[in-house]
Amino acid sequence: MGAQIVLRGRGIVEGKCTAEALVSTKPISFLGDVDPSNGKIIEKHHDLYGVCVKDKVLCFPHGHGSTVGSYVLYSLAKNGLAPKAIINRWADPVIVVGAVIANIPMMDQVDISQLRTGDLVEVDAYKGVIKVLKSRKRGGLSKCI
Amino acid sequence: MYLTREEERIYDGEYGWAKQVCMKIMVKLGELYDASRLIPVESAHVSGVSYKTLGDAPTDFLEALADAGEKVAVEATLNPQSLDPQYLAERLPESLVKTQLKLCEIFQKMGFKISYTCTPYYIKTPTRGAHLAWAESSAVVYANSVLGAWTNREGGPSALAAAIIGKTPDCGIHKAENRKPKIMIEVREPLEREVDYGALGIFLGKVLEDKIPLITGLRNPTPENLKQLGAALASAGMVNMFHCGGTSAKIEREHLEKITVEPKNIQETIEELTTTSTSKPDLVFVGCPHCSPSEIREIAEKMGDRKVREDVEFWVCTSRYVKEKTKSHVQKIEASGAKVITDTCAVVTWTDKLGIKTIMTNSAKTAHYAPTLNKAEVQLASLKECLKTALKQ
Repeated sequence: MGAQIVLRGRGIVEGKCTAEALVSTKPISFLGDVDPSNGKIIEKHHDLYGVCVKDKVLCFPHGHGSTVGSYVLYSLAKNGLAPKAIINRWADPVIVVGAVIANIPMMDQVDISQLRTGDLVEVDAYKGVIKVLKSRKRGGLSKCI
Repeated sequence: MYLTREEERIYDGEYGWAKQVCMKIMVKLGELYDASRLIPVESAHVSGVSYKTLGDAPTDFLEALADAGEKVAVEATLNPQSLDPQYLAERLPESLVKTQLKLCEIFQKMGFKISYTCTPYYIKTPTRGAHLAWAESSAVVYANSVLGAWTNREGGPSALAAAIIGKTPDCGIHKAENRKPKIMIEVREPLEREVDYGALGIFLGKVLEDKIPLITGLRNPTPENLKQLGAALASAGMVNMFHCGGTSAKIEREHLEKITVEPKNIQETIEELTTTSTSKPDLVFVGCPHCSPSEIREIAEKMGDRKVREDVEFWVCTSRYVKEKTKSHVQKIEASGAKVITDTCAVVTWTDKLGIKTIMTNSAKTAHYAPTLNKAEVQLASLKECLKTALKQ
């Protein structure tokens, strides 16, 4: 077992959690890409198509698309389907506002290429630190049940 | 970011969840864009009112804010909704109308002015030099470039937060140094028709990236011409203001990159935006952005006594306020069989559910959006041509 991976970034919305990472190489537009009634990615061309974001540490490069997307994050949280934390390379206003109103811990300026879907990670968005507690070498995407 | 003691109290939740979440939106966005403080705004204008463009997602959050008893702290206006109560409500599915009305009620409960217009500046002109938090992109460009007020292009949620807190982060083009032109645009031949100004906006929106332009070569444009230019500029690009004419006198031009716009660029843009050549569109639509009082008068005068053809709908869209102000002209327009529609426009209502598949318009912004947002074919043409198509000769 190699050294533990510790990544640093900028804390944007405060909070702490430990959960499984769900990592995408593609931007996410919460309006249109995510179904607020079940938390699944519904954009067919997305690399997380069919996967549920609930209780994951959701890692993706950045948001895009309509500012209505912020409200989708709120609805996900209200329905108990929100990610546990959001990790971006670059924060954009849609995701920042969404994380604020849904109260989801959020960080940016993180090298998410170091993270893999299925890794158990500890996010400390107060300090801007992510620790990989348990690494998963190759993981199939866990589907929503 | 520096917060006053009062702002800190709001941030810490001493005034409840709703104010806290609005303050947090502002502070987090401010930090993202390196603002050092919040500044008071004279007014806020909120987009994301039409159920057609919003869908169901925002209802939960908006309702929670309204239920918390939150009220706007400054003059706050609303963008168009998805229907005109007089003409369109009965032609649309009842469930859609009901959901839209519920959204409208939520906003009203929070103290928003029932404006439902993309041209709130015709209701109340912002003070020159005042800071605003406006979200409708065409109004943002108009406020910055024609009215001399200062506003970033807010998103729906951030304009809402600004309306409730009465402030906005001091960043972007709230700072004088960020309002300077970075590129010079020389329009080779003066533009004649409003549709040419719109086409210039689309053309520039695609080439400017984020550079604020100084536009030269326009000959006595009317404010309405510049409204068309700005609306198109914002829909095709990222720029939120332009300089031209009087405002550009003091600006140093020597070091600016320069782009020349030839008449063929304008003509080609109009052709690119036009997707059909039908002589019988289902709808002829003027009023994007919403008509000014002088545009209503111009339409009434140009129509004369002609009547609208039976096989075409003719919509003139404006705000309730302007419609009320221009009653005699409105009567004349409506006597022809045209509809002076308020509160909405062709882009944000369900034209597809009204059986409209082809739209002729003098608005480059509408031509830009209608193929995707309305699933309609478009013809971009001048007001003169629009009237010729809509009216019996």
